[in-house]
Amino acid sequence: MKRLYFGIVLFVGLHCAILFPGLLAPYGPAEQNREYTFAPPTRVHWFDAGGRFHLRPFVYAIVPTGDEGYSESTSARYPVRFFVSVAVPNSGQRKLRFFGVDAPGRIFILGSDAYGRDLFSRVLYGGRISVAAALLATFLALLIGTLLGAAAGLRGGLTDSAIMRLSELGMALSWFYLLLAVRAFLPLRIAPLETFFLLAGVIGVTGWARPARLIRGLALSAKERGFVMSARGFGASEFYIFRRHILPQLKPLIFTQAVILIPQFIMAEVTLSFLGLGASEPVASWGNLLADLQQYRILVAYWWMVAPVFAVVLVSSTYFFMANIFERRVQSVAI
Amino acid sequence: MPYSVIFTNSIFTTETRGQLLISKSGNFETYKRVLKRFSITRLRNFPITKCLLCLRVSVVNWILFCVALPVVAASAAQPLQKGEDIQVEPGLTGNYGGTLVVGQRSEPKTLNPVLAADAPSREVIGRINADLIHINRYTQKTEPALASSWKMSSDGRTFTLKLRRGLRFSDGQPFDADDVVFTFQVYLDEKVHSTQRDLLVIGGRPMTVTKVDAHTVRFELPQPYAAAERIFDSLAILPRHLLQSAYEQGKFAEVWNLNTPPSQIAGLGPFRVKQYVAGQRIVLERNPYYWKADSNKQRLPYLDEMAFIFAGNEDAQVMRFEARETDIINRFGPDNYSVLAKEQQDRDYQIQDLGPSLEFNFLVFNLNDVPADKFPDLVREQAWFRDLKFRQAVSAAIDRQAIVRLAYRGHGAALWGNESPADKLWVDQSLPHPERSLDHARELLKSAGFSWNSDGKLIDNQQKPVEFSIITGSSNAPRVKMATLIADDLSQLGITVHVVPLEFRAVVDRVFQSNNYEACIIGLGGADADPNPQMNVWLSNGGTHIWNLHEIHPATAWEAEVDGLMNQQMVTVNYKQRRRIYDRVQQLLAENLPVIFLATPDVLVGAKNNVGNFRPAVLDPYALWNADELYLRRQALASAR
Amino acid sequence: MNTARYIERRIASGLLLLLAVSLLSFSLSALAPGSFLDEMKLNPQISPETFTALRAQYGLDQPIALRYAHWLRAALHGDLGFSFAYNAPVSSLIWNRCSNTLLLTGTATFLVWLLAVPLGILSAAKGGWLDRICSFGSSLLLSVPEIVIALALLAFVVRSGRLPIGGMASLNAEDFSLTQRIRDTVLHLVVPAAALVLAALPIVLRHTRTAMAEVLQAPFIKAATGHGIFRARLLLRHALPAAASPLISLFGFSIAGLLSASLLIEVITGWPGLGPLFLESIFARDFQVVIAVVMVSSALLVVGNLMSDLLLYAVDPRIRLE
Repeated sequence: MKRLYFGIVLFVGLHCAILFPGLLAPYGPAEQNREYTFAPPTRVHWFDAGGRFHLRPFVYAIVPTGDEGYSESTSARYPVRFFVSVAVPNSGQRKLRFFGVDAPGRIFILGSDAYGRDLFSRVLYGGRISVAAALLATFLALLIGTLLGAAAGLRGGLTDSAIMRLSELGMALSWFYLLLAVRAFLPLRIAPLETFFLLAGVIGVTGWARPARLIRGLALSAKERGFVMSARGFGASEFYIFRRHILPQLKPLIFTQAVILIPQFIMAEVTLSFLGLGASEPVASWGNLLADLQQYRILVAYWWMVAPVFAVVLVSSTYFFMANIFERRVQSVAI
Repeated sequence: MPYSVIFTNSIFTTETRGQLLISKSGNFETYKRVLKRFSITRLRNFPITKCLLCLRVSVVNWILFCVALPVVAASAAQPLQKGEDIQVEPGLTGNYGGTLVVGQRSEPKTLNPVLAADAPSREVIGRINADLIHINRYTQKTEPALASSWKMSSDGRTFTLKLRRGLRFSDGQPFDADDVVFTFQVYLDEKVHSTQRDLLVIGGRPMTVTKVDAHTVRFELPQPYAAAERIFDSLAILPRHLLQSAYEQGKFAEVWNLNTPPSQIAGLGPFRVKQYVAGQRIVLERNPYYWKADSNKQRLPYLDEMAFIFAGNEDAQVMRFEARETDIINRFGPDNYSVLAKEQQDRDYQIQDLGPSLEFNFLVFNLNDVPADKFPDLVREQAWFRDLKFRQAVSAAIDRQAIVRLAYRGHGAALWGNESPADKLWVDQSLPHPERSLDHARELLKSAGFSWNSDGKLIDNQQKPVEFSIITGSSNAPRVKMATLIADDLSQLGITVHVVPLEFRAVVDRVFQSNNYEACIIGLGGADADPNPQMNVWLSNGGTHIWNLHEIHPATAWEAEVDGLMNQQMVTVNYKQRRRIYDRVQQLLAENLPVIFLATPDVLVGAKNNVGNFRPAVLDPYALWNADELYLRRQALASAR
Repeated sequence: MNTARYIERRIASGLLLLLAVSLLSFSLSALAPGSFLDEMKLNPQISPETFTALRAQYGLDQPIALRYAHWLRAALHGDLGFSFAYNAPVSSLIWNRCSNTLLLTGTATFLVWLLAVPLGILSAAKGGWLDRICSFGSSLLLSVPEIVIALALLAFVVRSGRLPIGGMASLNAEDFSLTQRIRDTVLHLVVPAAALVLAALPIVLRHTRTAMAEVLQAPFIKAATGHGIFRARLLLRHALPAAASPLISLFGFSIAGLLSASLLIEVITGWPGLGPLFLESIFARDFQVVIAVVMVSSALLVVGNLMSDLLLYAVDPRIRLE
């Protein structure tokens, strides 16, 4: 029971943070601080330089040291404030933020990137498009994969060959050129919402072939099991057999595939962004953030840039965790 | 003495090495020569079994062997011959021996100097071939190479070159005027499709070459041509005896690809091909007949071998250099500077920022005449792009210093004109370098009829919001950064800019073929520190007249003026006059902003501290231009790697 | 239907598939923007006339159907085409690179299955900490792009200095004795193979674990346990075959991926396989190289899937070949 509550809290909390990034993020995802590029995570203090304790945590000003590093300057102290209203640059509007420090102080709790943008805010804002698109794509790929794979396994014969040859075609083709061609036919500017559906659609539609083969393999043996044969003998319809007898046997496989596909699809966005099909700068997405990490110098010199990896781990682990819990509950109820 | 290095070690290890040479490398001739010289003939009778036992003696011996092997196996420099017209480099010293390892980003595609178009191929080909007149990469001025002297006739159309006497190709065959005539016949042949042919065609007509005597050739130019001697740089002189039959059979495209046996490839450069291993490396060895010597009358090059290893990408190239697997890293990106700099002391190498390169990056608006029914939005937006004040406002709003600082991590220079400061002889120092000014940009926009709506967005005189996209190649990280920075800069003017990174060839296709783009960030690399390579960019009917291709007549008055000036500078031989004309071109470009110049990256190179005579230059091929003079310091050779 | 006839039919359909792949690849290559010669457009020293002449020389001005017909005719004679970039026949470029790639992926695939299956079985059977570590470790590895894994390994090697950084052999490997050459190759193999293993391990591990966990709850296992069958024998002899179906399909993918799974890692680690050539050819629009590589790996895909279907049949005799 404790596990369940923990899972639910984690699940809901994570999704709130990702769906409403504006609540938690101290800055906008595209807000540049050109004088603070690649600043390491800002340290939050309770004790000041003189050793005095402050109930309200604070940060010190950070100053560039000249050799691409930063140091803290104890001369200025900026207390962390909660529920602050800050101005949004270049628009004249104000926005409520969960926490922040007064300008000119900066708080980068996960450090900053090549443009001096707050990585924490970018991870939060990036999650919305990436997680949603990866989930939708996973759902699409698994839906198509399950239906086609099960159909191939259950019906056999010509259906099987046709579907399997189609999946092989899907795996063999050089998608790269297809995607290039797709990009060439699309308009230059793609709105964020269109980007989202494009990502989900492209990844989902190209990603069904492997799950389909896996599921077909399992369905092949599943349909030969005694209770399936007897159900057929009793004249059960094919769809009934699929829903009541086959699908439950496929479920663990589908869950496992989902856990594998979600992070893979988040990373697929890296390639799509390269082709101009993903979210492009300055929009944040986990794919873009992971793409930054693929550079030697970022990996060795700016360790905080690995944060997006842990965001992806957190999300996919949460899904796995929840899936486990539900499965166990369903089983315990059944027994 | 090249051999002294290895034989300073114990006799025992020497013997082991000697035996191995016979069994493994098969270079028996060299081996015998070595033996004779040192009269260690008893090695011949050394039993193979014992030799194999020796193999296990120690790993250290093996490493020593690895270092020393090339020294023995490589061809020895021939002593200077009488009647050989050697160029002696005053003040140059060094010692023989060793293999210099250079990491390349990708694999060369061909060894055919006439057809090679990619940078890695040219990097290798440049080391195995020589040209008639060479541009010294350091001084950026021409100097004698295979031609020891040259003379231009008073009408500027006949160019006579005296060739060096007694020279040999790397396979030992003599070189004379017939080779030169043959070479230019190949370059000028339309059927060969040399990418360098266009350099030799002046004003639409090709130059002609005639042999005067065995060591004199004459070039007839169709019209006077400024800097005529610069054309000859990097035009490799080909051995007629090896290539003529293939050329006459129309098979020139197939000669000297990577699978050609090294014995069939010869050139006049400091090195010759020894071995190619697909996907891994290409090894060059000393050309024993090379025509340069140092101040001690020792024939160059110093190095026994040069090995180019193919790293795969820039990060791999950087890591291999950092791990000391390669001796030289020839140009790397600004992003990697700080990583390499941090390890400099510990790892005993040094990296250098040589200052700005010739490449210029710019923002270009699509000013092509496009059909209104196909691109309705673009045609509407072109009303802004064509407005000089709009372009000036954009230029004024761009924070070029931030581009240098963020996109190039400080290793670059801001540009306000088409010539980079690297082009010492031609850059117009008097061009203004206005500071970024949003107020000035706003004034310009206001005077051009733009205004701002209640949300702070910029709108044009038809109340349409000003919004456009910038495409750029996604594999070029600095350019994507420039676009992102510019988008942020312009958002402060109320302009919405979408950054659209595309795969590189998709960008080129849009810019040059479909014209389906609004604005683009792209760069052009200067081939030479001279105005002539940029002719096709600024001439209104030039093939690289990027903002408005296929202009039949100059679209604007100033473009007509640039046309006149560019054509005039091409035939002006006097440097000062030519310089004045070209300064005016630079001013016109800076005033009329057909493209908005942004920045140029610095040339960054590195070498191990034991590489001697390392004098990299900002012109291609950067650190390797004096490969014949580079040497590995003796103590480095003696100690194990 | 007997097995031999089944294999015959599958090979026939495999050939049809190759035909379809080649046709579609050709059409896609025509649709994709840009051409091999585009790079020259950015060189101000090359005139448009030269450009047009080169287009004609490479046959890029011909209609796509004609180009396909030419290619197909040559391919039926065993000629895989001509590389624009290298000015050389494609077959001279790809075969020895194929063998390098196979060395890498073969080693890695072997290691993946060697490690993942026992780990998966143990983590399903034992549960507890091992299971949790496997679970977290695999989701961590799944969330890191393989390029980052390879880069991190390389960065570590650069700092430790124990292993070579890239490539497949030392500069002077020709002069080594056989044992030293083998040692040298193995040392060079460590980083790319480790990166590949780390990238592929979690997938097999996860599937093994799930399938085993499912089977271990089945009544027949409980019955077998009741009969006092040894745990190890129970797991390997009884449970594993029942859980094998997804693993067999995955194994088919492993075979199919022997030429394509390591492309990116080869580029990062400088392994002289198909990867650097293929990716460079894609970007350079050196189509005939691209299509040749696609065809070779498609053939492998057909073989891999056929093998997995035969294995499925071998493990579960209830399945009928159709």
